[in-house]
Amino acid sequence: MNKMPEILLFFLAKIKKIALHFKKKKKMKEIMMVYYMEAKSARISGRKVAWITSGGPVEPLIAMDVIPVYPENHGAMIGASKMGTDLCEKSESMGYSSDLCSYARSDIACATVNGGPIGGLPRPDMLICCNNICGTVLKWYEVQARYFNVPLFIFDTPFCHVGYAEEARRYVRRQLDEYVLFLEKTCGRKMDSDHLKAVGKLSLEGQRLWQAVLATTANSPAPMTAFDAFYHLALIVTLRGTPLVIDYYTQLLEKMKDRVARGIGAIPNEKYRLLWDNIPIWPRTRWLSEKLASHNACLVADTYTSAWCGTTKYIDENNFFDSMAEAYTRIYLNIGVDEMAHIVLEMVDKYKVDGIVMHSNRSCKPYSLGQYDIQKIVEKERGIPCLMIEADMVDERSFSESQVSTRIDAFMEIVKQRKGSQAAD
Amino acid sequence: MITAGIDIGSITTKAAVMAEGKIRGTRVIFTGYNAEQAGTNVYEELLKELGIEKSDVRRVVSTGYGRNSVKFMDKAMTEIICHGVGAHYLNPRVRSVIDIGGQDSKAIVLDEKGKVKNFAMNDKCAAGTGRFLEVMARALEVDLDGFGALSLRASDPSRISSLCTVFAESEVISLISKGEKRENIIAGIHESIAARVAAMANRLRIAPLVVMTGGVAKNIGVVKAIERKIGMAVEVSEYAQVNGAIGAAFLATSLK
Amino acid sequence: MKQCDEFYEILKDPGSYGRKMKEQGRKIVGYFCSYTPEEIIYAAGAHPFRIFATGGNIHFADAHFQSYCCSLVRGALEGALAGNLDFLDGAVFPHTCDSIQRLSDIWRMNVKGPFHVDVVLPVKLDTESARAYMIDILKKFGNDLASHLRVQITDDKLKNAIKTFNTIRGSLKRLYELKAENPGIISGSDLYAIVKASMMMDRDHLTEALPAVIEELEKKKGNAELYAGKRIVLAGGVCNHPDIYRIIEEAGAAVVWDDFCTGSRYFEESVKDNADPIAAIAGRYMNRPVCPAKHAGIFTRGENLLRIAKEKGAGGVVFFFLKFCDPHAFDYPYMKEFLDREGIPSMMFEVEDQLPSEGQLRTRFETFVDML
Repeated sequence: MNKMPEILLFFLAKIKKIALHFKKKKKMKEIMMVYYMEAKSARISGRKVAWITSGGPVEPLIAMDVIPVYPENHGAMIGASKMGTDLCEKSESMGYSSDLCSYARSDIACATVNGGPIGGLPRPDMLICCNNICGTVLKWYEVQARYFNVPLFIFDTPFCHVGYAEEARRYVRRQLDEYVLFLEKTCGRKMDSDHLKAVGKLSLEGQRLWQAVLATTANSPAPMTAFDAFYHLALIVTLRGTPLVIDYYTQLLEKMKDRVARGIGAIPNEKYRLLWDNIPIWPRTRWLSEKLASHNACLVADTYTSAWCGTTKYIDENNFFDSMAEAYTRIYLNIGVDEMAHIVLEMVDKYKVDGIVMHSNRSCKPYSLGQYDIQKIVEKERGIPCLMIEADMVDERSFSESQVSTRIDAFMEIVKQRKGSQAAD
Repeated sequence: MITAGIDIGSITTKAAVMAEGKIRGTRVIFTGYNAEQAGTNVYEELLKELGIEKSDVRRVVSTGYGRNSVKFMDKAMTEIICHGVGAHYLNPRVRSVIDIGGQDSKAIVLDEKGKVKNFAMNDKCAAGTGRFLEVMARALEVDLDGFGALSLRASDPSRISSLCTVFAESEVISLISKGEKRENIIAGIHESIAARVAAMANRLRIAPLVVMTGGVAKNIGVVKAIERKIGMAVEVSEYAQVNGAIGAAFLATSLK
Repeated sequence: MKQCDEFYEILKDPGSYGRKMKEQGRKIVGYFCSYTPEEIIYAAGAHPFRIFATGGNIHFADAHFQSYCCSLVRGALEGALAGNLDFLDGAVFPHTCDSIQRLSDIWRMNVKGPFHVDVVLPVKLDTESARAYMIDILKKFGNDLASHLRVQITDDKLKNAIKTFNTIRGSLKRLYELKAENPGIISGSDLYAIVKASMMMDRDHLTEALPAVIEELEKKKGNAELYAGKRIVLAGGVCNHPDIYRIIEEAGAAVVWDDFCTGSRYFEESVKDNADPIAAIAGRYMNRPVCPAKHAGIFTRGENLLRIAKEKGAGGVVFFFLKFCDPHAFDYPYMKEFLDREGIPSMMFEVEDQLPSEGQLRTRFETFVDML
């Protein structure tokens, strides 16, 4: 009898949340639609299109009015629309091993059939490949360079096992100059360094705003979940350095601050706070979100979205161009496993996390190899449990729903038990 | 001239006898645990059935995983070569062979002479082999022989996405408990095995005329599913299961 | 062949060879990857000792690496955690691929050893700034080694090291050439054993052991009958599988050259003269046949493989990859297309550190040889 009002409240909150979500979603959807439309009609508008890796230095492209397109972002869209399996199968029939990164496989296949949710990406005029995120992008972009027969620029950011070496700094800094020269040659005009400075300022401001948005979830209850963050991430990745990004995140930050002030949580009954590690399982974000919410668990933070504001401390506001070298080299995936573990511990503390959900993503070796060690360190230093979910970010064939469901249930039992016994203490 | 071909597979052992370039007879038995014995048995049984003496047989070629254990063979050749020769003998217009056996699957591309131009094998993983179907038949508690006919009645094939046989089995069990119709599940299973095999075939850029050989070719559901996945018609000869042995017997005719 | 005995001895139990050298007072520096500047290790008075996977079952490494990590990396960590490599005075990790990159971190965090050095070589090998960085990073490596080993690395020592390694590389190349001229004079397994052991054997001794083999082969060359079998080229990364040579030979073919990390890429291209020995060494690593984990143009590897196949009169190419090796798997489709266009048949074989059954190997190789 007492359960009735509780259930009603639950449904009301759910409807409210969905409505809010939908309202926000519509805006992002519009923005991304315009963005892709502009990119696809670049030929008509006389602008150039560059394909660039998600960790690549986009600011010079924005300064040159080149439209940046992100095959990885497109990969996430392919995954979210559940079109990954077919495209991956197509790439396998082209001779690519099924063990390769599913972003790469989908994109390589997609380019030949113009598949995916938006009928394929616009042809690139140039390819910009920065290997700070992984070595796979080097090979992927080589494939596309052969396929599209367009200039390829490789921005080689040496791996920082235990710190940022002076030799690396010199090398990366020199490549920034080479990059500008490359763009000037490909676009047929000079870089406006004042404009680049302005773009740099906007980029830094955008990153700081994103950082502030993510930080709102340190509050309890969290005003948004990591699943929301996965969604709002698109702009800081694709259009970093534009005023659009500032506007969007300023609005979003206001909304979040407002929710915090009113004590509105993203999930109706936040009891357990979790941290997500690795790229999302794009075809299953909604399923995962509902599954965790059914346990009153909220993914309050994650290591993936925070990567796009993780190196602001290396950026010199008054010398954006020079400091780009360090900022782009010392990103989350380009540092040692022990340093990553340190950052995870910091996040555990900042967001008051009860447990970690790690996506052991077959497609991403730099992100996944080392998770076992990070898990051990977190369990040792903070005593909180870690859940491993073996899957893939785009290829659904690697996701076993019943297996994952069982693991989540078992993990939540442990989290509840531990939290319960803590409360008892 | 009378020649014979022996194909020792992991599940079944086949024999074929040819005389004056025509098939005289074929036979299939279970291999069991003694490959050498199986090779001897199937050969002796077939000769007895045909009323031929061993001394009348000019040459014997063996094939299959147990090919080197056949003591009375004159030459051992791989099953890929023999399947190619066999398919070409049965129909010289054949350019591609898809073979799904009990524990492996292969795709073979032939030239106009029946010689192997390219091939691909899956012998590491149960998915895409007859074993996959056996596991599913057990899970569904349906006789494997009825799979083909049942799948043709499917109204809406289920989607089974797992790459791994064990996970696919748990997907099937989950579908059963959700009340999904047997016919639909079986059609989904056929889609799954066809996808795996077709992926291998598509990598080779197969071309018509495509034939299927091996025991699984008897399953009309799988044949049709493969046709859809490769976008080409697939023919199945009455000799599909003994195709390798026929190829071996034919190869034996050109041995000196 | 008698002259090959000592090479086989080392391969039977590399660990005990390493330990023996250690007992003799040598400093043993373990390394991965053929991009390791062995010259610098040698100039530091230490012994470069290449590390491979154990080849056994994985037990300890499972706690650190998922199953979708290549067996070279898992197997190598396995050996280290099992204590097989405790004779090492240090471990060197050049930047190679994503998996080796993480292996370095995980090794540094879990394997107790005297020192651990990362040599973060450039991924790009075709620009001036990359060359300058390569020189910088090699100088840094020299300094790191010198401080760990408490020695001085002089230009003279480097020049001497360059001479030694040029001699070794030249000898290995000569052996390959002799085999290509007449595949029958040395078996594929023997040649494999020689090259692999050369990455572990005392380098000074090697400069004598290799010429002894060459001399023997030059003698045989005159009397040998002309080879009448099929000719194959192998292409891939690290080949830890001597058995395939025997199986290929039994199928009626011979391996006349390869594009392997543990084969021709190890010895091709000598160090050229240069006033600055570090710059000279850097030049060799910039110019040698490129590994797929690095970038030196988008068609370079395909063109190189085609050249090898044509020059050595190969009737076919077998791509031999480790499962989960991403760089090689990405290059495969276009390299295969290069061969297809020239009508050169090819086959691709994906293996783990532990080979599949001999039956499966035979079926594939016998069929392929029949196709040629």
